[in-house]
Amino acid sequence: MNTDVNMHPSSQLLNQFIQGELATGKSIIVSAHMELCKSCCAKAKELEALAVSSWVDPSIAPQLESPSATDYSSMVASIVQSAQLSSEPVEEVVEVQMDVLDDSIKLPKVLAKAAQQGLNWKQVAGGISEAQLILDDETQCEFIYMAPGSKVPVHTHKGSETTLVLKGSFEDELGEYKASDFIVRDTQHHHQPGSKEGCLCFAVLDSPLKFTQGLARFMNPVNSYTFKKAISKAVTS
Amino acid sequence: MYRNYAKQEGFNTEVGLTVRLASMNNSSQSLDAEDTVVSDESLLIAVGNHQDVNAFNQLFERFSKKIFALGMKLTRNEQLANDLIQEAMLNVWQKAPLYDLDKGSAKGWIFTLSRNRCFDMLRKQKRQPNCVSADDIWPPESGGEPTTLVHEDRGGLEVELSLIEGYFDQLSDPQRAVVEQIYLHDRTHEEASAYLQIPLGTLKSRLRLAVAKLRSLIGVED
Repeated sequence: MNTDVNMHPSSQLLNQFIQGELATGKSIIVSAHMELCKSCCAKAKELEALAVSSWVDPSIAPQLESPSATDYSSMVASIVQSAQLSSEPVEEVVEVQMDVLDDSIKLPKVLAKAAQQGLNWKQVAGGISEAQLILDDETQCEFIYMAPGSKVPVHTHKGSETTLVLKGSFEDELGEYKASDFIVRDTQHHHQPGSKEGCLCFAVLDSPLKFTQGLARFMNPVNSYTFKKAISKAVTS
Repeated sequence: MYRNYAKQEGFNTEVGLTVRLASMNNSSQSLDAEDTVVSDESLLIAVGNHQDVNAFNQLFERFSKKIFALGMKLTRNEQLANDLIQEAMLNVWQKAPLYDLDKGSAKGWIFTLSRNRCFDMLRKQKRQPNCVSADDIWPPESGGEPTTLVHEDRGGLEVELSLIEGYFDQLSDPQRAVVEQIYLHDRTHEEASAYLQIPLGTLKSRLRLAVAKLRSLIGVED
């Protein structure tokens, strides 16, 4: 039994998501899971209703005085000059089809949108490739592809690693994970994921992975370097 | 047989319609009477349906501090929190005609809209890549599609009116009211939403659902 394993986001995480408290990468992975999971959508709706009622509840919400210097009447006057919308602005529909494991899958919409910046796949270890996305300055976000029969070197995490399975499945000491599963791992876990049938995931890392076994240990400084690079790109771009 | 014919006749005349509409109007009046304080929803509808500046002022009064508090919590920056009031309330004004009564409360609508604007504001301020916006992460519930399709199909629907009549009772009251306004009373979306005192967004989504339901009912018949 391991209580830290979530096939769905925890209520706490869902709540942070609804309140807008998560950074972009985490928000996107929760949103992508919700696109695949009706029960989390229903749960999120309930949590949102709670969030809204505490938002408007004068006894719960701190009554912060906004600065009196601001002239709200002129703010209102300028707002009511602007034109109203008669229909939702038409969003361009982005579809990203990915050919994975002899099949073609459609990415969840929010991931398709994020993947528009272009995916640059890199082989990281035998059978494993990753394509990084730059989404915020707090996390490292990437698509991970595991070829059938591949194994990731044993590693722990400095921060937490959140993984969403998009296609296929992977397994580790704690279980097997299938499409739409949402898995959170933190520092305590030493694990060695492998994939018998092959797998496409999207993952968000709070900090770089730390490899703990054999030759892969030498990759640690490099790993840390690529993480820092991802962060600094996010800040300067 | 005769009764059925008579009913059909009445259905198509102004008289039959007026009766139905009058009874509908009554029910909405009694609803208003229960509320002594004007609801957030009524204010938002007034803003959306006829650019009611007074109603907007009241919404601003009720929500600007809440929006400021949300902004402070998420940005910890007074200037940004103040900017959020401007951004979010501007959005409330602009999008009021799209508010859909059937999908939740006005305060819930204003909350999600404020959260989304705050999220986008923060990303912009941190100069993060703008490939993904808040509306991608918290997509407005799908249903924005075929409002135009309804217009295009209008001719076809009128021809089938007598056919549809038998199914009319299977629509919910609000859906029936909208179909009557648009297809029998020949009102525009704007006129109908003003008459029924519902937001334009609600009218469109009810109409879409009603037409879809009628279609599927007719489809079953074939």
